[in-house]
Amino acid sequence: MTDTTTLLESVSEKLGITTPWVRIGDALWLEPGLKGVREVAQAMNEVHARFITITAYQLLGDQGFCLEYHWDLDGQLLGFAFRLASNSIESIFDICEAADWIEREIHEGFNLTFLGREYEPLQLRQGDTPGVNLREVKL
Amino acid sequence: MSYKIPMGPFHPGLEEPYKLDMICDGETVRDVKLHIGFNFRGIEHLAESRNYIQVIALMERVCGICSNVHTLNLCRAMEELTGLTPPARAQYIRVIVAELERLHSHILWAGIAAKLMGFKTMFMTSFEIREKIMDILQAISGNRVNYAMNRIGGVNRDIEDPQAILKMVEALELEMAHVVIPIFTTSSTARSRCAGVGVLTKERAISCAVVGPVARASGLPQDIRRAAPYAAYAELDFDVPVQTDGDVRARLLVRALEIMESCKILRQALAKLPPGEIHTEGEKFAFVTGTATKRIEGPRGEILYSVSWKEGSKTPARIHVRTPTFAVMPSIRWMVQGARLADTPLIQASIDPCYSCTDR
Repeated sequence: MTDTTTLLESVSEKLGITTPWVRIGDALWLEPGLKGVREVAQAMNEVHARFITITAYQLLGDQGFCLEYHWDLDGQLLGFAFRLASNSIESIFDICEAADWIEREIHEGFNLTFLGREYEPLQLRQGDTPGVNLREVKL
Repeated sequence: MSYKIPMGPFHPGLEEPYKLDMICDGETVRDVKLHIGFNFRGIEHLAESRNYIQVIALMERVCGICSNVHTLNLCRAMEELTGLTPPARAQYIRVIVAELERLHSHILWAGIAAKLMGFKTMFMTSFEIREKIMDILQAISGNRVNYAMNRIGGVNRDIEDPQAILKMVEALELEMAHVVIPIFTTSSTARSRCAGVGVLTKERAISCAVVGPVARASGLPQDIRRAAPYAAYAELDFDVPVQTDGDVRARLLVRALEIMESCKILRQALAKLPPGEIHTEGEKFAFVTGTATKRIEGPRGEILYSVSWKEGSKTPARIHVRTPTFAVMPSIRWMVQGARLADTPLIQASIDPCYSCTDR
């Protein structure tokens, strides 16, 4: 059985990332650099990691948003943070079925767009507007 | 000819509001669409305006059944951001309350499942036992639903007489071992309504990334208490029950076995309860800038909290909660495909859904 350390090394190798995994609290974080979220999701699928969630943050001022993606690998919590240059990021729904609801929730809560997928309303009712729940409007 | 049958958002077969739009051929369900958010409360947003004491009370209201695990996980995250370490006695008390809450949740579910099976006697029996668990929680905390046990750096209330609590737990264990579990595992009513119904295959459980008893009933041995132990779980001996059939009966068996494992954990924790303080006494603390991500095994499965703070602030910058029902509920779609229409209330109940958590 392959141990977790070997699997983590294989993830770095697959993604071509030379920076080490960094432990912050319970989670191990890998700086994705120029790698896209779909490449990371694919690498996670290959090591049979379990998708957990995406946490969206609105950054200060005009810095935009940050999305933190979490997976579980044999009980180890993994994290990847992506800064959004615009209000959109590629969807991983087609390669990670479990990301469906959280992508829809973030779209509705922050009015961010996950490219390459269609949405159906999850929490919004008829007449509601995406972004009213969690997105701070800069005055 | 296919036709659409809506179930919910308010329906006798549902405990709380959500909606299933089912596409049926005759009595057979072909597909389903799920809708949530009918009681969405915006708690994550509200949390950004609550200070570090108020936010504990707020997050306790995310769920009316597993309220304790929410405050426990939040406090663990805030402890990481403040550098506080709860004393050993507090860690054991956290385990005791968490396991009592698991018992309470599983027995509540057993009652609801019995009602949906048409097994009303079992429903009444389960709720009678549930009252006794709530009595124990009341004896410890003074409360029956929101226990207000957790604080940053420990717990609010001590267990002054562990032997008295142990006696109550042993009486409860006896009743569950001799009444609830034999009926659920051997009765022909439970078997005929549950066996082979609402199957979630192991492959589908992996692709849906389901958690908790639903995952364990589909052959996935995942449990955060074992994989990444917190509080005092590393010092306690317990098994993680796993079944492989993936049907309603497997989910029922997993929870029944977990009831016995919780009793085993409670007996050990009460016997080993170390002396000492129950929280960090008089220690000043300050939050550092950063994010703490913590996980915990709630009664329904893994709960994740991401808590962000800015140094000098009294309020969190962001709290994100991933509840177990949010992870498990989409898999209902695969469980009901091909099922009889009459089985869908029981199938959706078999994941032990918490709409309150989902609509946080």
